[in-house]
Amino acid sequence: MMVALLIQSAVTVAAGSSPAGSWNAVLDLAGGQLPFVVTIGRDTRRWKGQLCNGDSCQSFSAVRVEGDSLVLEITDYDAIMKAALRADSLVGYYHNVGSNGPRTIAFRASRGRPRATTGSKHLLGRWDATYFQDQGTSPRVFEFRNGSGGFEGWIISSTADYGPFAGAVVGDSFAIGLFDGSFVYLLTGKLQGGTLRGTFHAGLRTQTPWTAVRSTGAPHLKSPTEVTGADTTERLRFSFPDLEGRPVASDDARFRGKVVLLDIFGSWCPTCHEATPALVRLYRRYHARGLEVVGLAFEATGDTAVDARQVRRYRDKFGIPFPLLLAGVNDNESLAAALPQLHNLSAFPTTVFVGRDGRVRQVYAGFHGLATGPHASPAREFEDEIERLLQQRGE
Amino acid sequence: MTSLGFRRLGVALTLRSMIFVAPASLTAQAPTPVVMERAGYLAWLKHAANSPLFAVAQRPVGTGLRLGPPDADVPLEGVAEHRLTGDGGIVRLDGPTEKEQSGGGRSFQLGTYKLFLSSSPSGPVVTVFEPPSGKQPPGYYPYHSSLVFIGPMLPPEQPGKLRVLGTDGIEVEGTEVGAVLVPLGGTTRLRVLRIPLGGEESELEIFFRDGSNGDGTYPAGRFVSLIPAGAGKFRLDFNMARNPFCAYSAIYACPLPWRGNVITQPIRAGERYMGGGLEAPEVEGDPK
Repeated sequence: MMVALLIQSAVTVAAGSSPAGSWNAVLDLAGGQLPFVVTIGRDTRRWKGQLCNGDSCQSFSAVRVEGDSLVLEITDYDAIMKAALRADSLVGYYHNVGSNGPRTIAFRASRGRPRATTGSKHLLGRWDATYFQDQGTSPRVFEFRNGSGGFEGWIISSTADYGPFAGAVVGDSFAIGLFDGSFVYLLTGKLQGGTLRGTFHAGLRTQTPWTAVRSTGAPHLKSPTEVTGADTTERLRFSFPDLEGRPVASDDARFRGKVVLLDIFGSWCPTCHEATPALVRLYRRYHARGLEVVGLAFEATGDTAVDARQVRRYRDKFGIPFPLLLAGVNDNESLAAALPQLHNLSAFPTTVFVGRDGRVRQVYAGFHGLATGPHASPAREFEDEIERLLQQRGE
Repeated sequence: MTSLGFRRLGVALTLRSMIFVAPASLTAQAPTPVVMERAGYLAWLKHAANSPLFAVAQRPVGTGLRLGPPDADVPLEGVAEHRLTGDGGIVRLDGPTEKEQSGGGRSFQLGTYKLFLSSSPSGPVVTVFEPPSGKQPPGYYPYHSSLVFIGPMLPPEQPGKLRVLGTDGIEVEGTEVGAVLVPLGGTTRLRVLRIPLGGEESELEIFFRDGSNGDGTYPAGRFVSLIPAGAGKFRLDFNMARNPFCAYSAIYACPLPWRGNVITQPIRAGERYMGGGLEAPEVEGDPK
């Protein structure tokens, strides 16, 4: 209810009858409304548009008007949004498909732009959060600030860095969302005394209560290199088909005596989209000195034709010069089965550093720098590790 | 009804006010999210290449499978002999002219058939699909607002992780997280498991049987999700009950009924059943 009031109060309604313009949109999750903004425009030939979380926007792959419906495609994540277009409203759904069926979430929008709201100094800054689920707990770090688009936040776990979340704040309460066509996340919270309390909503139905206290500066999360373990007594083995179906294996001559980075990723994974350009740069910089990079894709549907198409798009989008292999689907069982020498492999992306002797030297979960907060790339840490491994001799 | 029991939505305003979303279920019509979720699911069943409606075989790859000829492990009309073998996370398909390999969650095209590989704690499993062909899913009972409940979750009797079969008949590791009491057939306790969906998402699932099983609904029982409703309460909407995949095709393994989780009253809501699947597995000492 609070979220609904926040959204309504933040909306300035404008009139119009075509899809062009700015739309205040929400996904109706079981526990609240995830706010975001859709903007639609038109050039001489076609409709185009963007999906925005605060100031962070991405373009839709395609925008179409079909009869009285507006169709928005996000091909990076094989997702679609379709809504009945009325003068001042859009009413429809967001839809994408996994290996065991679809995810369908109600989507609606009204014309206008959200009025930017800002958080007080009592909310801003870095917080050490604890998620409570079932009988266990897990740590997160929240970082809140006022950007040019208003109150925004990031959620950092031991394996991932999500953000920016954008939305509205009223007094000591906030409701901020992150929706990019793949991630469907909503964070609601309220400051009570010196403690923040709230709920993290993931997808349509998952809700996790949390509390948070001001960060003291002491480490609250596991280091990204401590999340996933590896069997280092033997050479790391892998063998998967590339996008043309040809097998690529760790025993191939191209990897012998080389330093190898395995990039465990998915085209559906926004954090992977952030990490890949850095890996491409590392490959271009160090390939001549003995670095190989291989991307292992764990995709959504398990349909080779569909997943290969998604990964080709991904390759072309980032100009990836190294091989990308279809390694499995993005569930824990598939990950564990594909790479049994790695233990607790749970983050997308995960980067596995393999020395010239073929053994795992380091496993880095996620793609963020804990020491310096959101947006900190670990690329420099990766460079240091690559330099160190290149100087070592193989067997 | 005990104070811990689930109550019909709308019976008490105090309970209704705890629901985060508008209580559209008080009307006779299905709320928009229910309509939307059902429509999306039905469209997937009708058209997806890996829809369980079009599955013709599902087997663990184990030490290897022969596919194609009539005497093969998996006979496939019009397909020459092929062999599927597993090696760790890799599955290889060898045929007269082609050799392909795949990770644990990929697919092969074999003539007009499509082979999807799934991973399970016991090793890779292959499911074979024929092309989508106009088969119709069973559909749903009319919406009943009287079969929507809200209430608290009780602590689990035996907390911890356990392996169960998911909707697709493949093993998954769930966590026993609690139980709910529903005022149906007296007061019935239903166990709740959290099933991971990947990333930060999971589903609170109840696999239950009821008095309609074998008489309009699938004999082995159905799944229904428990939806967090805020203030420590959860919403249970039997209109969202859905079949395990073994209801669509007898090739799927059927989940064993979860001990307990039997509602003696018929629940004529949610997904229906029109035959074609397996008979209900029996559990010793557990009344059907």
